[in-house]
Amino acid sequence: MAEPRSKLRVVVLGGGTAGWMSAAGIAKLLPDLADVQLVESEDIGIVGVGEATLPHIRGFVERLGIDEAAFIKATHATFKLGIDFRDFGRIGDSYIHPFGAFGEALNGVGFHHYWLELQRQGRARELGEYSLAVMAARANRFRPPAQDDSLASTYGYAYQFDATLFGPFMRDFGVSIGVRRHEGRVVEVERAGATGDVTALLLDDGRRIEGDLFIDCSGFRSLLLGEELGEPWEDWSHWLPCDRAAAMPCAHASTQIRPYTTATAMPAGWRWQIPLQHRMGNGYVFSSAHLAEEDACRAIAAAAEGEPLAEPRILRFRPGRRRHSWSHNVIGVGLASGFLEPLESTSIHLAQMAITYLIELFPTDGRIDPRDREEFNRLIDMEYDRVRDFLILHYHATSRDDSEFWNHVRTMTVPDSLAAKLELWRQAGRVEKYTAGLFYEPSWIAVYIGQGLMPERHDPRPSLGNPERLYRATEHLRDAIAGEVAAMPGHRAYLRGETARLASSP
Amino acid sequence: MSTPRDPCRRIAVVGGGAVGLLAATALRQAMPVTQIMLVGQQPSPASFSDFAPTSLSHARALHALIGMDESELLLKAGGSHRLVTRYRGWSASDAEGTMAYGERETGRMPASLAQILAEAGRFAPPTPGRDTPLAGVDYALRWNPAAYAERLVARAQAAGVQYLPGAVEAVEHGEGGLTTAVAVAGQGRVEADLFVDCSGPGATVSAAHPAFAMVDWSPTLPTRMVYIGQPTRPVIALEDRITLLGSGWQSQVAGRDGLYSMLGTGEGVDRETALAALGAPAMAAVRLAQGRMVEPWLGNVVAIGDASARFEPLGPYHFDLAQRQIEMLLELLPGRTVEPSERREYNRRSIMMMEAVHETLALHFACKRAQKVFGERPLPVGAAVELDQFTRRGRIPLREEDPLLPQERRALLRALGVKPGIAPTAQRPDPQVEKDAHRRFAARAQTALEFAPPYVQWLGSLNLSDPAPPE
Repeated sequence: MAEPRSKLRVVVLGGGTAGWMSAAGIAKLLPDLADVQLVESEDIGIVGVGEATLPHIRGFVERLGIDEAAFIKATHATFKLGIDFRDFGRIGDSYIHPFGAFGEALNGVGFHHYWLELQRQGRARELGEYSLAVMAARANRFRPPAQDDSLASTYGYAYQFDATLFGPFMRDFGVSIGVRRHEGRVVEVERAGATGDVTALLLDDGRRIEGDLFIDCSGFRSLLLGEELGEPWEDWSHWLPCDRAAAMPCAHASTQIRPYTTATAMPAGWRWQIPLQHRMGNGYVFSSAHLAEEDACRAIAAAAEGEPLAEPRILRFRPGRRRHSWSHNVIGVGLASGFLEPLESTSIHLAQMAITYLIELFPTDGRIDPRDREEFNRLIDMEYDRVRDFLILHYHATSRDDSEFWNHVRTMTVPDSLAAKLELWRQAGRVEKYTAGLFYEPSWIAVYIGQGLMPERHDPRPSLGNPERLYRATEHLRDAIAGEVAAMPGHRAYLRGETARLASSP
Repeated sequence: MSTPRDPCRRIAVVGGGAVGLLAATALRQAMPVTQIMLVGQQPSPASFSDFAPTSLSHARALHALIGMDESELLLKAGGSHRLVTRYRGWSASDAEGTMAYGERETGRMPASLAQILAEAGRFAPPTPGRDTPLAGVDYALRWNPAAYAERLVARAQAAGVQYLPGAVEAVEHGEGGLTTAVAVAGQGRVEADLFVDCSGPGATVSAAHPAFAMVDWSPTLPTRMVYIGQPTRPVIALEDRITLLGSGWQSQVAGRDGLYSMLGTGEGVDRETALAALGAPAMAAVRLAQGRMVEPWLGNVVAIGDASARFEPLGPYHFDLAQRQIEMLLELLPGRTVEPSERREYNRRSIMMMEAVHETLALHFACKRAQKVFGERPLPVGAAVELDQFTRRGRIPLREEDPLLPQERRALLRALGVKPGIAPTAQRPDPQVEKDAHRRFAARAQTALEFAPPYVQWLGSLNLSDPAPPE
C-alpha cells in the first residue's frame, strides 16, 4: 500500500557510508515526515572513507538509539584518543592532537601561556605531558572518561572502525526501521520543466523511483547535485594539493593496539595508520602532481609495518566542494557535496553534520522553503570553511624543505581567514574564538605548538607570578596525570573486557 | 622562543560610574604591575549601564572575579533576586508571558519553574553544589545603583586603583592613530599606554579619535526618548515587568529601595502623554541616538558599555554588555604595544556582542501590537532569520556572543507572544511521554514550592540594612 501523501518521499542515491547514515538518520528521527527509499548498486564500489572518526559520531549513534557495544562489535571498532602527527613540522617531530585539553586555565589566562612562560624559563616539558588524553594514548591505555569534574573527565574519545563494515551496519539498521532499498543503476534523471526540481530516478531495469526530496550520496561523481544540476565546484587543491590515496590494509605488527590514529608526513603527502581490532588500516595520501601512483604504492608497501593483507589500491579525489550543498530539491551529503582529505578524520563528521542540519531544517509542511535551504547552505559553508583552514594549517606550519611538495605548502598563500588566525597567534599567542564549528582552542594550540609554530609573544600575566610555584603546580599536574594513566587498563585489555562483557550479556 | 609581552605601564580608565569602577578593579587585579588610573568623570543619566539596577544572571561571574559575593550585594547594596521578567501587551493588549533564565524544559511546560515560584512569591537562592529542589533555578540580581557604586569604590580602593576626579577636557594624539594622553580638568595630563573608555554615550576619548564612526540603528530600533522615573515605594517581588502601552514601552524593576520605572517612546509622542504613562515622577529624559561604534577599539582606546553602543534600556542588556566586554578585554589583555591582530579579534567579537543585543531588541518591535504603537520597521538580517525559523520550525539559530542562551531566547520570544512552530523531530509527540513529562514537572514544581520559603520571609531572615532610596 502506498504511504499517505502527507509524508515527503525522500530518495537517497548511493549506498555508502553517507547514504546509509542519511537514510537511517532521517527514517529514525523523522518517521512522521519522511518516507525513505535508497537506491544503490552493487556494481559501484564504495570509497568507504574515514576509518577514524571524531567524538561526535557517538552522539549520532546514540541519537539513533543504537547500542554502543553492538556497534563496536559489528564494526571491529577500537577507541581513539587523538591523532599522532609525525614529521609534520620537522622530520623527527611527533605530537598528539588529543580529544582533550592541555592543563587548565588559571586566573582567566589559558594554560598554553603558562607553558610558553615555562619554556622561556627552560623548565617546560613537552606540551603533551600536561594532557591526560595524550599520556594515556602514549601509554596505549584506555578507559572512558569520568562523568564528573575531575581530571579523569578532561578528554573525549571516538572510534576507529572498519568503514566497509560501518556502511552495512547502518544498512541493516536502516532497513530494520523501514528504509526501502532498491538495487540498480540510475540511467536517467527526470526533472520538472517549470522548477528544474528532480522528480524521479530511472533505473537500468526500467523502474522509476519518484521522490520529493533527493539526497545525493553518489560519491565523487555527484550524479544529481554536480552532473544533473550543475552546481559549480569550488576547487581547493591549491591549498590542499593531495588528490590521491594508496590504501593497503596490514596485519597488526605488535601485540599492542594503539588508542590513537597515526599520521606520518611523507615527501609528497602523509600516510595514515588506523588500528582496528583485527588489522591496521594503512594508506598514503599524496599529491599526484608530486608523486606517481605506482611510486606511492611502492612507498606505502615499504612503509607498512605489519604483514600486507592486500595489494595497494588507488583512490582518486579532489579537494573542494560544491558551491551549494542544497540546490533545488537535492541535498549533497558526503563526497557528493565536497571532500576534505582525512587528515583530521573529518569525512564522516561532515556527512553527519549535513544530516543533522538537514533533519533540523527538514520541510514540515510537505514543501521546501527556500529560507530553510539558505539556512542550510549558510551552516554548511561555515563548517567547511573552518575545517578547511584547520587542515591547511597542518601543511603550512612547517619548516620542511626536503621536497617540492613541502616547499609548495610551506610557501603558498593561505586563505585570508587563516592568515588572520595565524597573525593573531604569532603576535599575541591567541586563538580566534568561535562556538560553532568543529575545532576549538585546544586543537589549534596542539597543532601550532606541535608543529613548532611558536608565537613571538605571550600573555604578560604568567611571568608576573612566582616561577617556582608555577613550576611546582605544573609538575603536580604531571604527577596527577601519571597516576590516572597508571590506573587505566591497556587498550587491548579494555577491548577484550568489553568483548567478554558483550558475549555474556543477552 | 616566545617572550612575555611588556605589560602596560599605565592604563587610564575614563568614567567614574559602575562600569569604569568594574573595569579598573578587574584590570588592576589582573595586572598588579600596571598602574590603573581611574579618571572619575561622572557619567550622565543616559549611561544606562552605569546606573543599571540589575543585569542578567551572568553578572555573578564578574562579581566573583572581583571578589564580590552575593551576600555583599544583598546585605550592603539593597540586593534582591529576579526569577522572571513578565512581558505584557506586546503581541496583543491582553497578552502576557514570562521569561526565565537557564531553564530548558520551559518550552514544553505551561510555565517555568521560576515562574511558578515567582507567582507564589517563594524562593531562596540555592546553595551552590547542594542538590535541593531549587538547585536548577537560575536568577538575576538587582541592586541599588548608588550603594552598588559605593561597594565598587571600596573594591577599587582596596585593589589599589588610583583615582583622579574630574572630567576629560582634551585628548592628545600621537603617531599612528595612537592616543597619548588625556587632559583632566584641574588635574593636568594623564599619559597611558592604553585607554579604556567607560565614559558613557559621550564616548569622551573614543569620539576624539580621528577614525571614530558610528553605525546607525535608528532604522531598526524606533525608540527616540527614554523617560527615567524616580524610584518609588519599595517593592519586594521575584518578577520585573516590561509592558507595552499605547504610548511606548514601560519597564519596571522591583527593588527593596524602590520601584525603578522607565518609559521608551517613538517619534511624535508628546511629553505630557509620556510623563503620564511613566507611572512615577520623572527624574530625567534622554533623547536617544541608537547605534554602535563601527570599531569599538580604535588605536589604543577601547570603548566599553554605553561608550561603544547606545540603545534603549528595554531589558537588562546594558550592564551585561559592558560586563562581557570587560571580560573579553581581560581575556585578550594587550601588552604595552597593541597588536593589530588582537584589536581585530576584539572588534570582531565585540561587534557580534553589540549586534546580538541590537537583534534581540529589534525582535520586540516585530510583535504585532508593537508595530501599531511604534510603526513597522525592517528587522536586522539575523533577527529576521531567527523570527522566521522560530515561527515556522521552533528553531533558534546559534548566535555567537549572544547575551542569552538559546532556551532564554526561546522563552523571550514566547513571552513576547511569538508562537513557535514545531520542530521536524517533534511533529507527533508521544502523548504518554508528554503526560509523563508534565507529571514529573508538576511533581518537581510542587516539591520546589514546598521547599522554598516565602521570599519576603527569607529576606527578613538576613540582617539587612536597607539603603535609603537615592534622592
